[in-house]
Amino acid sequence: MTRHGLIRFAVGAAGFVAGVVPLLLAINSPGGAHRAVIAAIGPVIGWAFIGTGLYAWARRPANRIGPLMIAVGFSFCVASLSVAQQPWLFAAGLLFLPLPYAILTHILLAFPTGELNSRAERVIVALSYLSATVGHWGAVMFQNTLRQGIPRNPLLVADNVAVLLTLYRLRFMLGVVLLVALAVVLIRRWRAASMSQRRALAPVLLSGGLAMGLMGVWYLASLARLPEGIVDRLWEVRVVALAVVPFAFLGGLLRSRVAQAGAVSRLVAQLGEESPRRGKLRDVLAEALGDPTLTLAYWLEERGEYVDSDGRTVELPVESSGRTYTVVHRHGVRIAALIHDASLADERELIKAVGAAASLALENKRLDAQLYAKIEELQQSRARIVESSDATRRHIERDLHDGAQQRLVSLALTLRVARSRLRDEPERAQQLLESASRELDMALAELRELARGIHPAVLSERGLDAALDGVAERAPLPVELIDTPAERLPEQLEAAAYFVVAEAVTNVAKYADASHATVSVQRDNGHVMVQVADDGRGGADPARGSGLRGLADRVSALNGRLEVFSEPGRGTTVKATIPCG
Amino acid sequence: MVINNALVGPSVFVVDDHVGFRESARRLLEMEGYTVVGEADDGCSALLRVQQLRPQIALVDVHLPDIDGVELASRLRELADPPTVILISSHDGGELRPVIASSGACGFVPKSELSREAIERLLR
Repeated sequence: MTRHGLIRFAVGAAGFVAGVVPLLLAINSPGGAHRAVIAAIGPVIGWAFIGTGLYAWARRPANRIGPLMIAVGFSFCVASLSVAQQPWLFAAGLLFLPLPYAILTHILLAFPTGELNSRAERVIVALSYLSATVGHWGAVMFQNTLRQGIPRNPLLVADNVAVLLTLYRLRFMLGVVLLVALAVVLIRRWRAASMSQRRALAPVLLSGGLAMGLMGVWYLASLARLPEGIVDRLWEVRVVALAVVPFAFLGGLLRSRVAQAGAVSRLVAQLGEESPRRGKLRDVLAEALGDPTLTLAYWLEERGEYVDSDGRTVELPVESSGRTYTVVHRHGVRIAALIHDASLADERELIKAVGAAASLALENKRLDAQLYAKIEELQQSRARIVESSDATRRHIERDLHDGAQQRLVSLALTLRVARSRLRDEPERAQQLLESASRELDMALAELRELARGIHPAVLSERGLDAALDGVAERAPLPVELIDTPAERLPEQLEAAAYFVVAEAVTNVAKYADASHATVSVQRDNGHVMVQVADDGRGGADPARGSGLRGLADRVSALNGRLEVFSEPGRGTTVKATIPCG
Repeated sequence: MVINNALVGPSVFVVDDHVGFRESARRLLEMEGYTVVGEADDGCSALLRVQQLRPQIALVDVHLPDIDGVELASRLRELADPPTVILISSHDGGELRPVIASSGACGFVPKSELSREAIERLLR
């Protein structure tokens, strides 16, 4: 038995004993002061509250409703000591008389989450507890119980009927105000609730509301000084009504299970009838969960994110946004998330059952969404490839215009001047020819550099190893080649690997503020892994900069994946993984 | 306007953002009898310097880093005592002909064909 189970067992055993106490005391006491009612109803109320509370607590250990119900049971048992003949036992019971109702107020406001959500709710609960403890105890000090034909009150300070009545009146008036406030909060909650929430709320709010309503009637009857007989009957009626609450609560729990089973079986039938269209699955699930705001998000493992049915990225709701989500697994693998109203979170079992029943349909939709996401991604990358090829052309045109072309133009002019001086000033002509020759060398170097940027000849002629050596050599910082494959790789793959390294090394030199970088290209398990790591400042954002995005497109065109790890202060690692038959 | 001055050649101002070209052009023009009174590597400094130096001819590259060469040509023509503007480019200029006509420039010479003969052909 778990530790929690042991605690529940001990509470249950104590509860059983506590429930017997009012029965025994009532049997052994002479009549009067509702002894008959307490004898008959007392154990029922004690056991029923404690038992139902234990059941609720076991189902939802984190929810406070179970412990609160157990507290009602125990406090009622202690309150029942008021039928004892022994003065101190009697006084203990007397002190606890109103407490169960204060706890019930707390339960009604906290149901079903166990939390008090607003300041108003917390104020109502706090005042209820205050009135049931300090307020009541103050009055008890002036209550001469011998007048009512019941045992002596050992806590009596002064036998002052006027003070006693004033204190009781004040407490009862406060009680009426709190009951009205309670009613307002509960009616509002009912109106805001969804159908499925109402299913769960109805039994508890109706029975609890009845018990508290009768309490209010009793307060008013007492305040109005109706004949004692009527007031006493009302007291008995409200105790009986209190006994109904735990059963209604239990009924509510079972009913919501039955309703859940019904919703799930309807769902299964609907899913079986036809393969739902896009959007239809959401409607069917929204109906089963009773949450019209439900949305579905499908998990894409390779992207590490959720998408909608059209493959567009979906952000899961954050806490305290009024929305929350439940992840659906199939065969232990995450497939989707149901994004729903936060109030639905308490019906975790229903959501799980609905998710499980719909898991096959969700998996199918997930595959669709995956396909749409892929198409979306392809469309985007295709547009980017066209854009980047245009940009590359513009870039080459610019480079040619500003570099080699300008040099050749100057060269033409210089040669013309040299030619005209050849006869009269041969020395000057020679100087000009030398300057023209230098100009030509520079133009050639620029053309070579440009050609290598378009496609490095060494790569196709001598392979990746030699081409990467060149990259390392030309880099303005020390670049260490740790590993390169000995054999030649397919042409496209070599080009992708080369450009990943060249671009990454350029970025290291430009932005990383690094002292050195390492490059490795490894073949492993049908994949080629290209990795460039530096010891620079990190914090690179792969979303910015068209260079990295262009590389990502190039890599994904080969069904590969480009990742950038760049925590601030920890250097940057660019890693491309490309399948290689 | 007196272009053929026997003592000092006609004054020329060169506007181009490539220093290598400016050097070669200066060498060629001076050899062919022009006086290169100044150079500028962008449109704004060209406007200022031309106003001060009042050259007879301004050679203006179509591609400049700040203002467009064609635009610069019309602005130079609006100065008091404006120079004759000749647009130059490393392109052959075919596609530029319509804009050149409307710019107030007197003509266009491809950079690689720059010579006294080419300039005078336009001035005729």
